[in-house]
Amino acid sequence: MGAPGSQASLREANSGRIVEAVKLYGKITQVELAAATGLSPATVSNIVKQLLAAGIVQTSITTRSGRRAQQVSLVRSSELSVGVHIGRRAAEVIVADASYSVNARQSFPLPADHRHDTTLDRIALLVAELTEQLGASLDDVDAVGVALPARTGLPAAAGLPGWEDVRVEAVLERRLRRGILVTSEAEAAAVAESRYGSLRGVTTGLLVRASHNVDGCILLEGLPHRGVGGIAGALGHVRVDASGPICRCGARGCLNTVVTSDAMAEDLRVSHGPMGLRAIVAAARAGDPGCRQVVADAAAVVGGVVADAAMLLGPECVTIAGELAAAGDVFCDPIREALASRPLLSRAIVVRESECQDPEARGALALAHDAVSPSLMTQEV
Amino acid sequence: MERPIPLLSLRAISKHFGGVEALMDVDLDVHRGEVVALVGDNAAGKSTLARIVAGIHRPDSGTILIDGEPVTIPNAQAAFSHGIAPVFQELALPENLDVTSNIFLGREHSVRGLLDVDAMDDLARSYLNRLHSRIPDLRAPLYTLSAGQRQCVAIARTLVANPRLVVLDEPTASLSVSQTAEVLTYVDGLRDMGLGVILISHNLTDVRAVADRVEVLRHGRNNGSFSASEATYEEILAAITGATRSAPRR
Repeated sequence: MGAPGSQASLREANSGRIVEAVKLYGKITQVELAAATGLSPATVSNIVKQLLAAGIVQTSITTRSGRRAQQVSLVRSSELSVGVHIGRRAAEVIVADASYSVNARQSFPLPADHRHDTTLDRIALLVAELTEQLGASLDDVDAVGVALPARTGLPAAAGLPGWEDVRVEAVLERRLRRGILVTSEAEAAAVAESRYGSLRGVTTGLLVRASHNVDGCILLEGLPHRGVGGIAGALGHVRVDASGPICRCGARGCLNTVVTSDAMAEDLRVSHGPMGLRAIVAAARAGDPGCRQVVADAAAVVGGVVADAAMLLGPECVTIAGELAAAGDVFCDPIREALASRPLLSRAIVVRESECQDPEARGALALAHDAVSPSLMTQEV
Repeated sequence: MERPIPLLSLRAISKHFGGVEALMDVDLDVHRGEVVALVGDNAAGKSTLARIVAGIHRPDSGTILIDGEPVTIPNAQAAFSHGIAPVFQELALPENLDVTSNIFLGREHSVRGLLDVDAMDDLARSYLNRLHSRIPDLRAPLYTLSAGQRQCVAIARTLVANPRLVVLDEPTASLSVSQTAEVLTYVDGLRDMGLGVILISHNLTDVRAVADRVEVLRHGRNNGSFSASEATYEEILAAITGATRSAPRR
């Protein structure tokens, strides 16, 4: 360790920042590293050479906007992490190593109102099977992150009916004997987008997760902001109808009483027969006028709430994730219009679709991995 | 909006095997892009109904309508020409042949009398991709594949004929969780392609996960029709066990 203020200590601090950035993004080009750390391209290039010689990172050639680029990743560690997303109608499990290159993935459809015992049993079996597929065992797994459509500390707002009293952490810990980290799907998606997707490099951002109901996550200084009691960003519980019905949380007229997959299906019942959310989104994309109308109307209501939130937050970027984001511009354009209709809101606010595959599972995996892996800042270079 | 004419309609189908009344006045409709689950106890008549649709058994009485036109399905070839592709519990695929050969068995593509292996490989790959399958090597003989991958080959075989209706009899029986997940994802994929699917299964979780409609058979008779996303396990179980009886239709 060099003396404080010396050239040597500065260099150590800089390599620490680079390793930290590589760890955060998994695979990153040198150009992006310079942007992420604020170091000059020359410094990045020198430090990467040293780290390469020390066997801490590996490099590969890739192309970035048509140019050859040097991609940097951590030397593949044998440790694996698991990310799980349990949604209303589907679950995904991914297993990845420390460089976050996803190694195994399986999604499976779930019944409406699926039961916690059956689902958690299947998740536990699936984690074990996927780990085995990679030639590893559960002992090689350092952590398991689980994203749920619920917020910790807000039991009344649990997104999975019948799961209100289930201690997912304890059940999975007993089955898998691994450290389990439970998070909300909105927060997990925000973490994934900020590391690998559309919120990369964004300091103040908002993630809107529009699915069977709506939730959100605020990014401040690039990190999810939970607020007191984990309530920050709960867009689904913003009041949109002062005389509306009572929400599951007990308040009146929450967004989640107005924009839900059930309400959308109900609007289409007479004309289209019973439809699931996935079918509605697929039909809207294919240009079915009725489904487009229902999705656009939902987006307009969400857009109003997003515009209100943007007035308070002043985000650089709003990312739309979740099943409804798959409807593309049918869902995103009304939100853009709602933002544009407020004169004070900067026109610079970008509304993007999610750019990450399985952002919930990937974010949960990243959070769980961070929770157990020691910071590389202190590592000698 | 008027519900369109069903892809397949069975009306008052009955079938006896000697003294056994396998099916009694059974009705069933399957629309395009719809997954209809057939559930029921052992010997409720599920597989018999599937075999009638596949042309293996002939009904004693009743009508089969395809696109609203009455048809007869006297044999498997007739079912094939109507665009019906069945996958039965016993897969009956030759295990010494590789993936591509199995998919195109009996329907090989050839150029000037020679097998067009490259074209078949490309097509086989595209079928497997459409089903989100992960079989790395198409040259691998079937016995080297897992049960789930073989199930996938059996389902991919049905795509060669460009079918309109796929009949799956217990596709997830004896599969592991990840293989079950794959098969259920395939079924979702078939629906997204606009095909009609008849799914026979004992597992209510699997059924409710992918089906649009659940039809209950009990002792060879219709005993209830449920929307899969709205009916609870208890309602469906009650119909299977006979705790509730549906009023006879029509």
